[in-house]
Formats: sequence, C-alpha cells, structure tokens
Amino acid sequence: MEFTIRAANVDDCKDIERMIMELAECEKAIDEVKITKRDLEQDGFSKNPFFHGIIVEVPERHKTKEGHTKVGYALYFFSYSSFKGRAVFMEDLYVMPEFRGKGIGKALMSKVAQLGLAAGCQQLNFTVLDWNKPSLDFYFSQGCTDITAEKGYHYMCCKGEALEHLAQP
Amino acid sequence: MEYKLRKAEPRDVPDILRLVKELAKYEDMENQVRLTEQDLLEDGFGDTPFYHCVIAELKPQDASEDVKVMGFAMYYFTYDPWVGKQLYLEDFYITQEYRGLGIGSHIMRHLSDLAMKTRCSGMMFVVAENNESSIQFYKRRGAEDLSQEEGWRLYRFDKDSLVKMATPPEE
Repeated sequence: MEFTIRAANVDDCKDIERMIMELAECEKAIDEVKITKRDLEQDGFSKNPFFHGIIVEVPERHKTKEGHTKVGYALYFFSYSSFKGRAVFMEDLYVMPEFRGKGIGKALMSKVAQLGLAAGCQQLNFTVLDWNKPSLDFYFSQGCTDITAEKGYHYMCCKGEALEHLAQP
Repeated sequence: MEYKLRKAEPRDVPDILRLVKELAKYEDMENQVRLTEQDLLEDGFGDTPFYHCVIAELKPQDASEDVKVMGFAMYYFTYDPWVGKQLYLEDFYITQEYRGLGIGSHIMRHLSDLAMKTRCSGMMFVVAENNESSIQFYKRRGAEDLSQEEGWRLYRFDKDSLVKMATPPEE
C-alpha cells in the first residue's frame, strides 16, 4: 500500500488528538486522556516544542470510511543519558487497525531512528505495557532490549497531590 | 555547614561529570559512562539544551577554602500525550559524606516547585529495583511505581540497532 511519512505540522493536531484517543482506547485508558488540540498546538508547535511528531498519510483512494487520510503517527522527544549522552524517546507509535500489517509501523520507527541518529542520539527508549503482546513481539523482532528486566529499572512517577505536597516549603 | 542550590553553569561541567561518575560507581556501572566534558558542555549549554542541571554547592567556611559542589540533579522536560508536559529526573546524587542533611529533600522540593511552575503534571524517573534506599526515599514522598502498578516496562534500542532500523530495506 502506498503511504508517505512527513513531519507533523500545527494543522495535524486535530488528527493527532483523534489518534491519541484511539491509542488510549487500545490501552484501555481513554478516561486518562486530558490533552486537547490546543495543548498539542501550543506544546508541539511553538518556539520551544516539548515534542515532535511524524504523520503517516495515505492517498485519497485509501481513506477510511470516515474520510481520514492521516492513518498513523509517532510522537517523540529528545532526552539525555548521563552515561551515553543524547537519546531519543519514542512516546507514542500508532497505526490505525485497518492499516496494520503493511510495514507502516516499521517505517515510522525507521524514521524516528533516522531523526534520532541525525540529532546525534546514542539510543532510542520507549515504554510498553507488559500485557501488550503484539507490540512486544514487534519491538523484539526489531532488536530491542527489555531494560526493566535486564537492569531492574522501574518507571516511577510523582504527580497530582504528591507533587504539590513535595513542592511545599 | 551552609550550602546553596543553583542552576548549573558551563564552568560546572567538570564537577557534573565527576558526580555522574560517582553515581555510576555507586550503581556499580562506572565503566558505562561514555560522556566527556565536551559532550556535557555542548549538550547542556548550547542553543537547544538536551538537559538542565541544578547544583548543590557548599559555601566555604573562610576565604582560603574553595566552594565544593557536592550534589546535583540532571533533568529535562518530556511529554505525555494524555496529560502534557512532565519533568524527567535523569540523575540525582549527593556525595556520601553530605547525605542525611536534608539536601536531597531540598533538591526534590526545588524540582517539584519548578515542575509546577512550568505546568508539568508529574515528575518521572527510573529507579533500579535493588536500590531499596532510593525507592523508599521516593515512595515516602508519594511516588508511584508505574512498572509495578500499571505494567509499564522500559525498552531500548542501542546505537547498532538504531543504525539497522534507520537503514531502508534494499529494493
């Protein structure tokens, strides 16, 4: 199937928001999405973006029954390892279900890898839910390592009231 | 003993690297540090910094003493597409002889305050499961273990795998 991958621009935010919700639904967490199209516009497309995006588009003749031609995306940002230096973190990778199995996911990851290497990154990090077997199988087939298993690294978070409390003098 | 917290400056790069190596040694991973002072200078103090640093500096008792940098936290901003900006704590370390004096708590307070001021909804970090004292330090302050509670696991592609993935397949 024909498709193109390009850098996201501010006009893609409506479709990015739609696909973020679709991905959250896949991860059984739709109620946790608080982000709006406006947040994405401000946070991703102002002078100091907090994330970058790439979008997959298909020609009109392959559009979905709702009329969408933007059928996949990846969101990433640059991070830093105090051991190895520049790194890229792939926060989201999503292809609409009816477009899977056609190499689009692989092409998206390849693009993130290219962009990361171009920026001087030494590694690509991401998280996956432990029950998400199709994603885990896909990532392992591409040669990744499970850092949680290998080094016992647990991903931790301080948010909401805990964060507010921590900030108190 | 008086100390102050301040934003790192380019002149702090040698101390930052020294403390990164001390932390790596504490985690039994000393030989894995590949960063150089030049990397830290370019990556932290160029046009688009990849990281930010806050330094804990001991105030000298008298004029003949040097200031001593005895702690640091390295952080950067990340993005959760469900809730927005996050502050990611990459490294956090106080030299052994200065622990137990509240400096670590002060740094955490400073970073949480910064997270709130920059409208981050959370502070994220990674801790090794065998690092009991750090896990307790964070859990006492209300941190959640997302790996344990929600099943999130951290994965990585190293440089060789990245190069392989970035190379388009032959036609």
